[in-house]
Amino acid sequence: VTRQLAFLFLLAAAACTEQVTAPASCPNFCPTDSIAIRDTIFTTIIERDSSFRGYVPSYGAEAMSVADLPGIVDSRAFFVLSKAATRVTVKTGDTTTTPIIPDSVRFRLSIVGRDTLATNLRIRLYHVPITSDSSSTFASLDAAFNGPVVDSVNVSALLASPAFIDTVQADSLERRFYGDTTYRDGGGHILAVRDSGRILDLYFHLDTVQAPVVEADSGQLGFGVRVAADSLASIALGTNEAGRPPFLQRFFHHTIPDTVSTQPDSSVSGNQTQTPLFDSFVFDPPSPALDSNLAVGGVPAARALLRVAMPAFLHDSIDVVRATLILVPVSAVQGAPSDSFRVLARPVLADLGAKSPLGTNSTQYGSTAIHIGGSDTVNIELTNLVRAWSLDTTMATAFILGQVPEATSYTEIRFYSSRAPTVRPGLHVTYVKRFRFGEP
Amino acid sequence: VTVGRSDGRTAAALLGLIILATVWPSGRLAAQDSQFGIRGLGTPGKLESVRARTTGGAFAPFDAFSPLTDAVLADVRRMSASFTSGASWRSIDASGVQSSLRGTRFPAMVIAGPVTRRIVVGGGFSTYLDRSFGVVINDTIDLRGVQQPITDAITSDGAIADLRIAVAARLHSRLALGLGLHRITGSTRVNATRSFADTANYRTSTARDEVAYGATGGSASLLFDVTSDLRVAGWFRTDSRLRADVGGHTVAENDLPLTYGTGLQWRAGAQASVAGSLTWRNWGAVQSIANAHDTFNWSVGAEIGSPASPFRFGLRGGQLPFGVGKTPTEVGYSAGLGRQFSGGRGRLDIGLERLQRSGTGLNERVWTFLLGLTVRP
Repeated sequence: VTRQLAFLFLLAAAACTEQVTAPASCPNFCPTDSIAIRDTIFTTIIERDSSFRGYVPSYGAEAMSVADLPGIVDSRAFFVLSKAATRVTVKTGDTTTTPIIPDSVRFRLSIVGRDTLATNLRIRLYHVPITSDSSSTFASLDAAFNGPVVDSVNVSALLASPAFIDTVQADSLERRFYGDTTYRDGGGHILAVRDSGRILDLYFHLDTVQAPVVEADSGQLGFGVRVAADSLASIALGTNEAGRPPFLQRFFHHTIPDTVSTQPDSSVSGNQTQTPLFDSFVFDPPSPALDSNLAVGGVPAARALLRVAMPAFLHDSIDVVRATLILVPVSAVQGAPSDSFRVLARPVLADLGAKSPLGTNSTQYGSTAIHIGGSDTVNIELTNLVRAWSLDTTMATAFILGQVPEATSYTEIRFYSSRAPTVRPGLHVTYVKRFRFGEP
Repeated sequence: VTVGRSDGRTAAALLGLIILATVWPSGRLAAQDSQFGIRGLGTPGKLESVRARTTGGAFAPFDAFSPLTDAVLADVRRMSASFTSGASWRSIDASGVQSSLRGTRFPAMVIAGPVTRRIVVGGGFSTYLDRSFGVVINDTIDLRGVQQPITDAITSDGAIADLRIAVAARLHSRLALGLGLHRITGSTRVNATRSFADTANYRTSTARDEVAYGATGGSASLLFDVTSDLRVAGWFRTDSRLRADVGGHTVAENDLPLTYGTGLQWRAGAQASVAGSLTWRNWGAVQSIANAHDTFNWSVGAEIGSPASPFRFGLRGGQLPFGVGKTPTEVGYSAGLGRQFSGGRGRLDIGLERLQRSGTGLNERVWTFLLGLTVRP
């Protein structure tokens, strides 16, 4: 009997499984209430919107824009390399130095952005004053950029030449992973394709005239870069901020005097590297002054602060399933297609105007791509952010629009603000009304 | 356990199981679900032990361990407890859409014992209304000018239980009176979810809550032995309005029906009994529900064989209170066995029930395996 009882209870326990959900046969056999959805464009919900400029300067950007787009922009990059030793100590513990004798220079520029449809893309190197700094302008550097060309290379021709594969590196992990390839030309230029073609490392071979060692300048050098092409002449160069700055490696030798060494008159070889103390770019025409519209981008970077007046019912009686910010551009952004960029909407932790601290919860960000030449209405999905506002009434209901990456380009987009009644920013919210539980 | 052993340890252990079962989550204290109850207050529970249920419910007015009437508690001669469970497999045909559902329920528990020679006090729980259901709705709606496939899932898990304390008094050797006080209470965990096929742009909306229900009621019943072989029972019950609270706020109040019924039992010898019962409930008085109907239910059944191991069978029919159009109907067939053990200190009842429900646009067929245990420690 015990076994029989145990069996029965085990049977009962095993049967303790639930499946009570079935396809509905509505309305006759469904709850009286149903899940109701509403879709509303709130045209006046965004208010007290403003733009502010000066967040990121050109010398703090992750890239330097170099472009020559007639009628649109002429952008030029420049940088000043760090000081370099012009003399070397020949014996440890001895203060006696001897001058170095420069032999050659290997100089690298990293092209981190370009238009792959550009043809006959040429990069030209100029000397610029080592006093160039953040106060330098397009006009103040114009003379230097119209001076003698230090070196010039045709990137398109390099890319069209037969690929060169270093047999030592041919089977390296990096090559197998990224498919890196190297190209050479007769002028000593080497083009190394990195990161599946997204980055081009361009190496120049410079002589002592092109990259002189001037003792009075403590070995400092200033270079400027211009670009030309049949069309779409626009590239971005890596900077210190992005970890891929211009890089100079100087090879030299010196002779040990017979008075200080057991190896008199012997020749010793060496090399030293220089990276930029300062890198930036200038362009013409400059970013226009702020006006009543919402400016995003440009240099120094402009951001727009938009405040949202959330209706009470969006806080407590609904569930937001989609929220889209609607922005109408004032005009299409001009430039090369490769200069397309993203606009990122980030919540503010507290509304302190231009200096509002930004939220770091990336799940609440919204972004969209701004394509050069496009003038369509811009939509940015802000579902997670608006859901968070709906649930947490203590959150600041404001967000900031910024360019990504900031200040790396002359490009800037302007949207109509709340001052333009017919084309002001709006918020398109799709929400589910609270289900009425408890009613039959 | 060996048949005939009378130390009561097994029965005590089984009583422990029964007590454990009484604290089972309220969502399990339900009877059989039905899609007919979704648009109403729920599916009324069957206030019957396994013994009564396997006779089609006909023995319920005469079975002390069926919480239908109070007067029959007067038959309890020593402290006893009974526990009922059922596992159901339900197939649904809703206008051609078929589905299969299953569930396990613990619809009734009764514990009773004599206070004096003439007075017996009892109590327990039973399912008043079952509110466990789930519906899934697939549809396509126009959102922002795009046809968007959606899926809605609305689920309710729980039941409204009837907690009863009753007293029965034998006023005369042939007449017993029973009175009961009922607290109707329970809760359902409810969930409404809408999900979108376009998960990249639309987030799933989920609303969860808990609905608490409450009401009170009273019942009275009489049991009269016309002869030593013939018994008649009559009962009446009334309840207050059923209040539904969400988050401490009352969201609905609904009338509950008056219940009255009568039953007849005939002992055709020492090893055979036949019974029948009729029950009326005026569910139509629930004003807030458009398609509520008064119900009339009948049942006949028999118990054959020795009291230690009887065979039972029964037939029931009647109506369900909620349904669009004409009143939904229910027909059921059941049979089962009983077996005493531990010298009569325990009894195990098993049964099988087949129900067919039909209404406008919906047919349900239910198989239920019933398991009941009664112990007298």
